[in-house]
Amino acid sequence: MPLTRRRLVHTRDLFLELLVREMKLRYERSSLGMLWAVLTPLLQMAIFSFVFGAVFRVDIERYPAFIFTGLLAWNWFREALFSSAGAIVNNRELVRQPGFPTAVLPIVAVTVPLLDLLAALPVLFVFLVASGGSLSPAVLALPALLVLQFLFLQGIGFLLAGLQVTFRDVQHLLNVSLTLLFYLTPVFYSPDMVPGWARTVYGLNPMTHFLVSYRHILMDGTMPDWRVLLVIAVLDAVVLRIGWTTFVRARFAFVEEL
Amino acid sequence: MNRIEAHAVGKRYARFAIQRPRKVKEALFRGMGGLRPVDTFWALRQVSVEVAAGKMLGVIGTNGSGKSTLLKLIGGLSRPDEGTLVVRGRVVGLLELGTGFHPDLTGRENVFINGVVTGLTRREVSEQFDSIVAFAGVEAFVDSPLRTYSSGMRMRLGFAVMAHTRPEVLLIDEVLAVGDLAFQKKCVARIATFKADGCAVVLVSHNLEAVTETCDEVLWLQHGNVVARGPAEPTVTSYRQANEDDDADETGAHDDDGG
Repeated sequence: MPLTRRRLVHTRDLFLELLVREMKLRYERSSLGMLWAVLTPLLQMAIFSFVFGAVFRVDIERYPAFIFTGLLAWNWFREALFSSAGAIVNNRELVRQPGFPTAVLPIVAVTVPLLDLLAALPVLFVFLVASGGSLSPAVLALPALLVLQFLFLQGIGFLLAGLQVTFRDVQHLLNVSLTLLFYLTPVFYSPDMVPGWARTVYGLNPMTHFLVSYRHILMDGTMPDWRVLLVIAVLDAVVLRIGWTTFVRARFAFVEEL
Repeated sequence: MNRIEAHAVGKRYARFAIQRPRKVKEALFRGMGGLRPVDTFWALRQVSVEVAAGKMLGVIGTNGSGKSTLLKLIGGLSRPDEGTLVVRGRVVGLLELGTGFHPDLTGRENVFINGVVTGLTRREVSEQFDSIVAFAGVEAFVDSPLRTYSSGMRMRLGFAVMAHTRPEVLLIDEVLAVGDLAFQKKCVARIATFKADGCAVVLVSHNLEAVTETCDEVLWLQHGNVVARGPAEPTVTSYRQANEDDDADETGAHDDDGG
């Protein structure tokens, strides 16, 4: 078997083994297993619906489904960035193996929470239909949107994984930033409710556009704004480029610094 | 055929200020200037060595002499700053046994993870699975979590996986010091098989008896420079004498520059 082909097969196998190991360690030993991937956003949704729907009386139609859609995309974002940041420093023994393709680790970090999202997707569909919606053909655009978000997260993931090697508080700062950013991202409210003077700033947050597009597809049954998706695609390319460059530069520093 | 060819290889490390920022916070307060190294030093300089297929090179020297740095360079984990280094074939590092092992997963699951991490494909692992388990002698426990294994069983399992990787270049860093006599014998026998199959082996060790016994050639490093290079027996003897003249304390000490 030629070396390059073997390498490809090996990298794929390595990716799958590490992915399975991650999933097993997360879910296999708990009695509820993968159900946790669904229960966590369901509980979050219940609490947000109560607090903002019943207490603050936010007036959004089909509010629980609205929040659930936002939460799934947001949780993926948060989990992916957080575990990417630790992907290298928490796996130093793997990185020290000769010939180990280090880039696999941040990819696993972004993929694991994607599987959580996919596991919760059927429940979301049930919610959407039960709340009086219907799944339109626009749902077919969902994979494209997931791919766009995946590439976006992967770009930032590579960047964070590289930075964490030099700066050990990246994960800590990230934790604080993500908590704050959660409130500045329209997860439990709609961007229409944001006052005009703040909208430009909101427009700079890529997650806003992801959430709006998910809701177009899932809640309204309309196709997302393709111009927005195009801008996101360009952004993905830029972020991936920056992230990958940083990561590759840090690659040899990994072993020397760890 | 030479599997490893190093010509005048050197590796320079940066020495950073002790108060080098390790956090974004610190870097912001003190300025990014602190990130630049204050000084550099050569961990390895002018090292030339060849290891032919089927040969075994022993690397000896006191702590901090550059032994581990040399292994990292050959393993492709870091790049030389000067000189040329060519490594031909699949490199397997036996730097620690059972990389990727997790106590909560079963022996079977760990064999697959460790095998793939060490460079095998899933198919290669499953084809050799029975043989790996038999080699380690843990047949009765394959489906029990690794945390129920004794440390000896864990070690045997790690070595068994490595023993099935068919390396072309094998890097060993002191691991053979662990384990009982029977296990060590098994390891040495396995390495002899690798050599017979055309594998080049590099052994870093403080165990001078083992080096004399198993290595075809020995490289003696001191402060990153080559002191001597030659047949095992005489090189080890002169190393011993130099150490006795110098200070007897060094023998038996463990290398702590592994990263």
